[in-house]
Amino acid sequence: MNVEVTDLTRKFGRTRAVAGVTLEAGPGVFGLLGPNGAGKTSLLRMMATVLPPTSGALRLLGRDPGGYGPRREIRRRLGYLPQQLGYYPGFTVADFVEYFALLKDMPPRQVPRAVAGAIEDVGLGDKARVKLRTLSGGMLRRVGIAQAIVNEPELLLLDEPTAGLDPEQRVAFRTLLREFGQRATVIVSTHLVEDVAAACTEVALMDAGRIVFHGTPAELTARGEGSGAAGDAPLERGYSAVLAAARSTVAARS
Amino acid sequence: MNGDDLLTGRYDNAGPHDVDLNRVWLGVAAQVWCRRPGPVERAARRLLRSPGLARALVTTPSLLLGWVIATAVVLIAGAGFTLGTGQPWVALLAPAVAAVGIAYAYGPGIDPSWELSQSMAVGDRMVLLVRALTVFGLNAALGLAASAASGAAAAVTFGWLVPMTAVCALALAAATVTRSANVGVAAGLAGWVITILADQTAEGRYTAAVTDPSLVLPYLAFAACCVAVVLFATRTPRGTQ
Amino acid sequence: MDDDALIAAVARGDDVALRELFQRHAPWLAARLRGVLPAAEVEDVLQETFLAVWRGAGRYRPGSAGGWLWGIARRQAALWLRRRGPAELLLPAVVAADGQDPGDPAEEALSRAELARAVSALGPEGGSARETWRLMYVEDKPVAEVAELMGVSAGTVKSRAHRARRLMRAALRHRAPARQGGGR
Repeated sequence: MNVEVTDLTRKFGRTRAVAGVTLEAGPGVFGLLGPNGAGKTSLLRMMATVLPPTSGALRLLGRDPGGYGPRREIRRRLGYLPQQLGYYPGFTVADFVEYFALLKDMPPRQVPRAVAGAIEDVGLGDKARVKLRTLSGGMLRRVGIAQAIVNEPELLLLDEPTAGLDPEQRVAFRTLLREFGQRATVIVSTHLVEDVAAACTEVALMDAGRIVFHGTPAELTARGEGSGAAGDAPLERGYSAVLAAARSTVAARS
Repeated sequence: MNGDDLLTGRYDNAGPHDVDLNRVWLGVAAQVWCRRPGPVERAARRLLRSPGLARALVTTPSLLLGWVIATAVVLIAGAGFTLGTGQPWVALLAPAVAAVGIAYAYGPGIDPSWELSQSMAVGDRMVLLVRALTVFGLNAALGLAASAASGAAAAVTFGWLVPMTAVCALALAAATVTRSANVGVAAGLAGWVITILADQTAEGRYTAAVTDPSLVLPYLAFAACCVAVVLFATRTPRGTQ
Repeated sequence: MDDDALIAAVARGDDVALRELFQRHAPWLAARLRGVLPAAEVEDVLQETFLAVWRGAGRYRPGSAGGWLWGIARRQAALWLRRRGPAELLLPAVVAADGQDPGDPAEEALSRAELARAVSALGPEGGSARETWRLMYVEDKPVAEVAELMGVSAGTVKSRAHRARRLMRAALRHRAPARQGGGR
């Protein structure tokens, strides 16, 4: 198991962004679905060791990120793409990916080849020495993916990775995810249901800081059958059905 | 990922079947795309024992050659003015120049990509520390050289190091809290100018800010507060929604 | 863009042009090199070739891009073999593959004949020198395996290979002087 989360909570002031999440993830592609504000980003941030939890237990790659040494070890094996990624405009694509490869403590001798591989994997081979300020939003997102995968991470955390990508690029991206999912744990947070359907072996649906569904995409689809929930595709209907059920339960309780 | 991309697995039908052309291209691209580290970066790698930290250091905007040359030019001009007018321009300019440099130590990879930097094995605080110290040291050395060359009195030559520490700390604190190098520069410069004018009003000469020994402790105390602010602003649980 | 324009672009530091050049020419260069070198060596030599192209594109005079590229590949192959020592025995094969023009039958026949003569200088088939050469350089077996197959020690294999190289080199030196420059 690369990720073991037990009753994890994160509060900001009085808001509970993440309210007692428990899950486990081994190798494979794991989808994290949910509406905006569901707590997906905060959960991902905690797994990226960027945000400490308020309470609960977190084990990443068999280590406790609370300690300085283990946290550094985790970060060497981690790939993270935040939802908002700023870019220093004067860097080229290769500069940017190389910079973060070095900051991940990659041995310098391996860096150039790893950088080249990552840039080709995201399809930016003809833009490697182009300055970031000249790139479109979708290309910048792909640069972000490249820095996340450059160190062949065992744990890959991607927050809205397909934002700005056109359909063809999204297909290629899902292939990349599946490849990574064979050796590593890939957790993709997205509000695009079709991303999940195509690439993920497991799905968790979050709402208001809690996990309201955990299973395979097929199981989620099944929840939508015959429920009359909104949605154009079966998986979307499952998504809506589960959300509706979860919210009515909450309403009934309060 | 673009339609006509001929690499990543599309060499299946081209070339001999047991020659991996993708691998060959990556070997070529690795050499063509990546910058070979220069002598400064290589030295930094050995000194800091971290290639990541060395790269972060040499990409500091205020340590790039153009910047360093500009700093040197300003200080040399200051030395020239000092020799000409007798007013210790270097002592007054050096802290200002250093403040600008320090604010921009909070630079690429840290400011725009701060969230990503926080997930790095090489911690962002470490990067900031190394950068700030290097910029400070460099500016101090340049300033001392210019000051000595301008023939100023020893008290003035060394006297500005303490105010420089305070002004730099202020600039860095402002920059890290607002996550903007420009705000840091503005704060540092404004603070320094106000200090100079206030002391001049109080004691009648421009150099008061630099030479008055009773100001040393307040400067250092102020610097310490600013450092505390920096530590607070760069702590990990910077959780905003 | 045609090849001449691409190489000119590479000379100006355009890495995208280099990538395009690679996509166009690497397959056939690899195939040609594969005729004389094992696969792993082909990859290394091809990599060095295109790095040499990157560095030396400024020296290209418009004309035959294919010939220029193969010239670089051949030089890199020779450099590689020289560095690798024991494999230098394959040099005659590289020389043999380097016709003035691909498909010049006379040159090819000449090279093949010279190679056959050099090989026969190793002695009769089944003899130790010839057998060592066959196992190590034709069948590409590692020293340890050859030693096992021949029932001798690795050290013996190496000294037999050394002797075989000496014999072949001597035989090849009797070639026409004009070809000498293309080899060692």
